[in-house]
Amino acid sequence: MRIRRLRRIPSLLIGGLLALLVLSFGWIQVQARQTEQIRILMPAPFADASKALVEQFNADQHGKAHLEVIRGPLETEAISDLAISSLLLGDAPFDALLMDLTWLPKYAAAGWLEPLSPWFSNNDLDALAPGARAGNSYDGTLYRWPFVASMGLLYWRTDLMDQPPQTPQELEAISKKLQSEKRVPWGYVWEGRQYEGLSCVFLELIDGFGGIWLNPSNGLVGLDQAPGVEAAAWLRHLITEGISPQAVTNFAEPEALQSFKVGDAAFMRNWPYAWAELQKADSSVRGNVGVTTMVAKDPSLSTATLGSWGLALMKGSAHRDAAAEAIRFLTSEQAQKQLFLQQGYTPTIEALFHDPELVRINPTLPELAEALDHTKSRPETPLYAQLSDVLQRNLSAVLTGEVTAVQGMENATFTTKTIMRSAGDLKE
Amino acid sequence: MILLLLPAALLLALVFVGPLLHYAWLSGHADSVMTGLLPIPNQGANWWRLASDERFWQDAAQTLRFAAVSVGAELVLALGIALLLDQRWRGRGAVRAMVLVPWALPTTVMALGWRWIFNTPYGPLNQAAALMGFADLNILANPAITWMATVVGDVWKTTPFAALILLAGLQTIPGDLYEALRLEGADSRTCFLRITLPMLRPYIALALLFRLAQAFGVFDLIQVMTGGGPASSTESLALYAYLNAMRFLDFGYSATVMLGSFLLLLLLCGGSWWLLTRLQRWRWGA
Repeated sequence: MRIRRLRRIPSLLIGGLLALLVLSFGWIQVQARQTEQIRILMPAPFADASKALVEQFNADQHGKAHLEVIRGPLETEAISDLAISSLLLGDAPFDALLMDLTWLPKYAAAGWLEPLSPWFSNNDLDALAPGARAGNSYDGTLYRWPFVASMGLLYWRTDLMDQPPQTPQELEAISKKLQSEKRVPWGYVWEGRQYEGLSCVFLELIDGFGGIWLNPSNGLVGLDQAPGVEAAAWLRHLITEGISPQAVTNFAEPEALQSFKVGDAAFMRNWPYAWAELQKADSSVRGNVGVTTMVAKDPSLSTATLGSWGLALMKGSAHRDAAAEAIRFLTSEQAQKQLFLQQGYTPTIEALFHDPELVRINPTLPELAEALDHTKSRPETPLYAQLSDVLQRNLSAVLTGEVTAVQGMENATFTTKTIMRSAGDLKE
Repeated sequence: MILLLLPAALLLALVFVGPLLHYAWLSGHADSVMTGLLPIPNQGANWWRLASDERFWQDAAQTLRFAAVSVGAELVLALGIALLLDQRWRGRGAVRAMVLVPWALPTTVMALGWRWIFNTPYGPLNQAAALMGFADLNILANPAITWMATVVGDVWKTTPFAALILLAGLQTIPGDLYEALRLEGADSRTCFLRITLPMLRPYIALALLFRLAQAFGVFDLIQVMTGGGPASSTESLALYAYLNAMRFLDFGYSATVMLGSFLLLLLLCGGSWWLLTRLQRWRWGA
């Protein structure tokens, strides 16, 4: 008898658990009917940074909508892979996505995005800083609303020089002088690894030397023209002259930052986030860092690569109105102010760049506004990932001395044209 | 009898033949972001593109070099380790378990570890070289040597797997064979060449084929350690197929790259098999 009773316990347990499961599922269903569940996928750092804002939103909207941020992977490309995998499988498990501006044409052409025009007006656009208006539309349709602005910057050491360089020659001269005086081991560190960052570095230089990478609207490729070759040759020259370490050919942002942070370099190319990192207690260059725009052949040509993140609405989302409401809240002036004060995120709303309270806390804000005026988008085409990959491969070959700058840029131009031609054929 | 094989055959068809046929179909279509992700037949254009795609053949050569060198090194090392672990000595059990640790680690984790170890200037290897007065090593920034660093990562991780197979093989060799040969006055070298190697041949073949197929499809190690750089010197075929699908959203061509590398792998395995059967007829150490 006792044994039989014991045997019954597991089945009772399982039955009980099942009943509990069904009940709680029903409860969740009831809850869901009352409030709209909105999900936004963000890369981990942004998800962490917007935690306070999300709590605020949920308190404001209590009973009406509930926002949940899905904390994605850290790396830009990993989150793109995750988003694309779920979009390919059909119904994406999120209503909105925080996306890099280079993804937009691809996602829009694939038909994954919902136009934002019903929710955002021209007045909203006019409030944005001019540099932040780019990269949100494809084929004239607005698909993305900017969450944080970002642009390439030249960081320099205020304790080593009075004025930052404006031209490549000045950067070289200052670096060589400091290196020969043994004040820094390296002059200039930047992102030379074969990845997207290298394309950003190069866009600034090719424009700074007076050229263009690519104009998708008329199919012009400028890589093998004089400015393109000069820009590639200059990057290689930095390595052969010992101004940049050979290891920059495997540097991404963290490596460049590490090198500059310990005081090993006089200049660094990086994004605005680095400033806060350089002011931390463990930084050897704390208080000795200035920010300016990238060197250029002529100062008027100075260019910063635009690298903003923005929120886009997914096609087929069942909660479009509520999700658009959440996007508006997360990108509001108040939210941007909060994100700037707590996280150092560069705002996208023009008025905030002149807010005295913000300037007092981060004195680089006027420089950021200046850099935002010099920004340029990377070529806006659905083929961007492919074309950028071609550029990265060939540049990496130039930087490592596998081919000359002329060969590398001619090769890149040839392959770029081949890809555009074969895609153009398919379009017809 | 045949009925009993049916479940296995169905499973194989589901997970292997099905996707393969789907890929073959996809490779005959343009299916990319430019077609709005709709498949449009393109009369074998993908295959023409593959044949003239320098990058595909460059990656194929690199993948082959990577697979040949790492599998070769692994088999030699694994044989040594297996022979050692087959002997009776104190603490053998603990060492047998420890040898498996690299195999048990997730590849991405250990690839990150290697990336850090080989880092210039902050990695421990470079620091040690600097202490000894050498210049910066730049192991991951030199197209001529970076691929060897990826081989080191692969050998470290997968040698235990090959060693395990060979150890299992060693234990199937009956001890009396050795006794008999020793009675004839043979030394250890002769025993190894006349008994161990020939008896181990099927196991070597098994380890070789398993590892070859795996190394030929290497993806995670390369993706994490180098991303295919510098100057694409370490890009594998799997990485190229992945880029085409996930980054460029060109599924038609990605399927073609995948199938192309599958055909190359078939050739490679067939070639190795042929070589091994030749070796069988050839008398060991004669």
